[in-house]
Amino acid sequence: MDELTREFLIESQEGLDRMERCLTELEERPQDTGLLADIFRSVHTIKGTTGFLGFKRLEKLAHAGENLLGLLRDGKLAANPPIITGLLQLLDGLRAILRMIEAEGGEGASEDTALIEKLEELQAPAHAVAKHPEAAKTTAHTHAASPAATALPPQPAASAEPEGPAVSAPQSSETETARPRAQASSAAESTLRVDVALLNRMMNLVGELVLTRNQVLQATSGDPRMTLLSRRLDMVTADLRESVMKARMQPVSNIFSKMPRIVRDVSQLLGRRVRLQMEGQETELDKSLIEAIKDPLTHAVRNSLDHGIEPPEAREAAGKDPEGTLKLRAVQEGSHVVIEVSDDGAGIAVDKVRNKAIERGLIPAERAAQMGERELLQLIFLPGFSTAAKVTSVSGRGVGMDVVRTNVERIGGKVEIDSRAGKGATLRLRIPLTLAIIPALIVRSLGQSFALPQGALSELVHIPPGQAATAIEWIDDAPLYRLRGRLLPLVFLDKLLMPGRNGKPGASRDHFIAVLDADGRCFGLVVDGLADPEEIVVKPLSPALKGVGFYSGATVLGNADLALILDPGSIAMKAGVIMTAEEEALRAVDDIKGATRIEYLLVEAGGRQAAVPLADVLRIEQVPLSRIEYIGYRPVLNFEGHLLPVEDSAGVLTAAADGPNPQIVVVVCREGNRHVGIAVTHVLDVAAGIDLFEAGTGQAASSVTLLKERVTGIIDLDSVAALLAGVLQETEWNQMAEAVR
Amino acid sequence: MSGPVSGSKHQGKTTAALLEVCSVRLDQTLFGVPIRHILEIVGSTKPQPVPLAPGFVGGLVHYRGDVLTTVSLRQLLAMPPKEGAQDILVMEGAAGYFGLLVDSVGEVLTVSPADYEPNPSILDEQHRAYLAGAYKLKDCLLVMLDPERVDPVRLGAAQAA
Repeated sequence: MDELTREFLIESQEGLDRMERCLTELEERPQDTGLLADIFRSVHTIKGTTGFLGFKRLEKLAHAGENLLGLLRDGKLAANPPIITGLLQLLDGLRAILRMIEAEGGEGASEDTALIEKLEELQAPAHAVAKHPEAAKTTAHTHAASPAATALPPQPAASAEPEGPAVSAPQSSETETARPRAQASSAAESTLRVDVALLNRMMNLVGELVLTRNQVLQATSGDPRMTLLSRRLDMVTADLRESVMKARMQPVSNIFSKMPRIVRDVSQLLGRRVRLQMEGQETELDKSLIEAIKDPLTHAVRNSLDHGIEPPEAREAAGKDPEGTLKLRAVQEGSHVVIEVSDDGAGIAVDKVRNKAIERGLIPAERAAQMGERELLQLIFLPGFSTAAKVTSVSGRGVGMDVVRTNVERIGGKVEIDSRAGKGATLRLRIPLTLAIIPALIVRSLGQSFALPQGALSELVHIPPGQAATAIEWIDDAPLYRLRGRLLPLVFLDKLLMPGRNGKPGASRDHFIAVLDADGRCFGLVVDGLADPEEIVVKPLSPALKGVGFYSGATVLGNADLALILDPGSIAMKAGVIMTAEEEALRAVDDIKGATRIEYLLVEAGGRQAAVPLADVLRIEQVPLSRIEYIGYRPVLNFEGHLLPVEDSAGVLTAAADGPNPQIVVVVCREGNRHVGIAVTHVLDVAAGIDLFEAGTGQAASSVTLLKERVTGIIDLDSVAALLAGVLQETEWNQMAEAVR
Repeated sequence: MSGPVSGSKHQGKTTAALLEVCSVRLDQTLFGVPIRHILEIVGSTKPQPVPLAPGFVGGLVHYRGDVLTTVSLRQLLAMPPKEGAQDILVMEGAAGYFGLLVDSVGEVLTVSPADYEPNPSILDEQHRAYLAGAYKLKDCLLVMLDPERVDPVRLGAAQAA
């Protein structure tokens, strides 16, 4: 393909993307001539260039579209649902031809007669502006008289049904929807296309510069004249690195903008009425990640429409607005972007999930009966699971949420689901900001450094010298570790990488177990030492080393050492750690013994013991008291650039201030979308709690649990949130954080 | 870096066909790589070993923001490994840059085709695969390496086959 054609393809794709955005907006404001002019221009440009390049089929189709659009633009026709449907079909038609040109170099032999005829039909005065009564009268006349019109194939049901499901674009404010268009024209002048390979090269060179800087800093640390210079070098390098990273970022609106169309089409197909709300479209993600989450997100949206939002009648019967709401929300949280797909539909029917899982043989019936709601919800991520009552063309082919999970996990992300019966469901995709730089724990083995992606790491266990012999148990040749009553298979990294090494571990040195969870396979990787966690730049390995399989890349550490990046998934596979759906379900049951056993983090605060549900704990941070700041009387912690409200009902802060060593431990928890910190004196242990029942009534007591034979109060995160943020919403927190900075 | 000062002057023949060769020393043998294949020479490095990697891989080094896979010439020619730092010839292969790990890099020699001899038939068959004849210098032989044959991608493919 020559340069000219390639250029044309890129340009046309961009034009069609713009057209698609405008079309969905047009549905909202059919009178907006600016939108029509934009659409007209896109099609006109394609037509103009195709004539020049000799793509006759494309030219003919674009021409038919241009005629219709010309009438619309000049106000001779008014846009209505059938016309918009027709224009969307034109868009698809043009896209299909462009794809063919891209794949085969030619536009194919088939004709678009039906579509062209349809577009011509739409130009007929039948659709003329109703303002002119005389025109309207003649239409009825000509339409009836015209044999061509009657001979046309029946229009698709969608366009024949004028009060069909309406989809509205994001509408938080009028100005917000108007803005993207204004940007589009000015962006064209102030931006230029850059080859991704060039950006990657720049990224590499910046990485190199960072290392050279580190060495310069070390070498010149003794010389006061150089200190100033090297400080400056340090700053410029950091800025440069950030700018290059930013160049690779794209707003999620690139995927979000496809959604109105998908929602429109799918909801028409299913007979749903859906209002689409989008938030945080300006949130940015690395380009490669934008590509990678396109499919999972589309799938999640389709799923919500198909399984989540009920048909209008069912909604009315349930006393809800017949028009359902689908909400897409993107927000940056530290080094991750969270994308939420939430609907106000029926929620996930846990009983149906249970029955389906039993029917599909994913779990045995007796186990299913013991499982709690949360565990049952996780079952929808198992391969081969689909609850759709009937197989539709939209979803329900058995390749469902497991594909979403696999795709998101492949890029180091996580998927969570929340559901409330009758209220709706929320799917949360947690995506790292960039693929090129990942947080990793640096571990040591065989006298070398290795990087372990933090995404797969769930916890670390230290076995002091002398205890290895008792702590690590063996069945035949298989090493195992008892982690909270469960046997965890172990893999010794040194023996894995150097098969000749002798059997059991030496008793005289430290052992560290990195507990990893790779695609549902849980195992402990035994290493000799731990270094600091580091943000590492992932470098690809030569194809000659791909055969080894244990490495997903290499990286240069801050001290200029090289480290190989370990791939937990393939290590688990090679070491024979298998975690089938069956075992996973079994484990879930073992963990919680029905819904009554939840794991808690046992903490000590102000001399009393308290428990925090382990599932809500994100991190445990030891911080000097000086890092706690106050907004008014509220203690806050600047945590990874975000302001974290700190709950201190036990008076830990005051107590610590009097102590000789002013340090406290902050347990960072997730409460809904917010993060809160809880100030505690010590973290004691992790244990499974047993529900307590009130004598007489037999009702479960909600705020206490039996932990290690002791009745322990559970810190109610909900109330923490109400206490601290009832007045302040998260956005306000962020604004305040800005202000503080 | 000190190489032998031998046979660097070859005159009287057609200058057009003269070849510039980077000389490389491994124990007593002098090897050569045409300089047009060499991007850069990186002195005294200690590559990071890669456990479980194929034998010919000499380890990884950091090169201009990239991680470079090196091929150990000693390994290829079944010579005992050497302790301490080694020099690296950075070359471009089928899938990007790679490094050739040698004991020490000597000077650039200009050789004439008149002194060229193809691989002798008595050479070990395995070693012959990486060699491309020799130039007769005044007091020793300059054994030529075939840059394409020592590409790790090619070596990896050959080993898998």
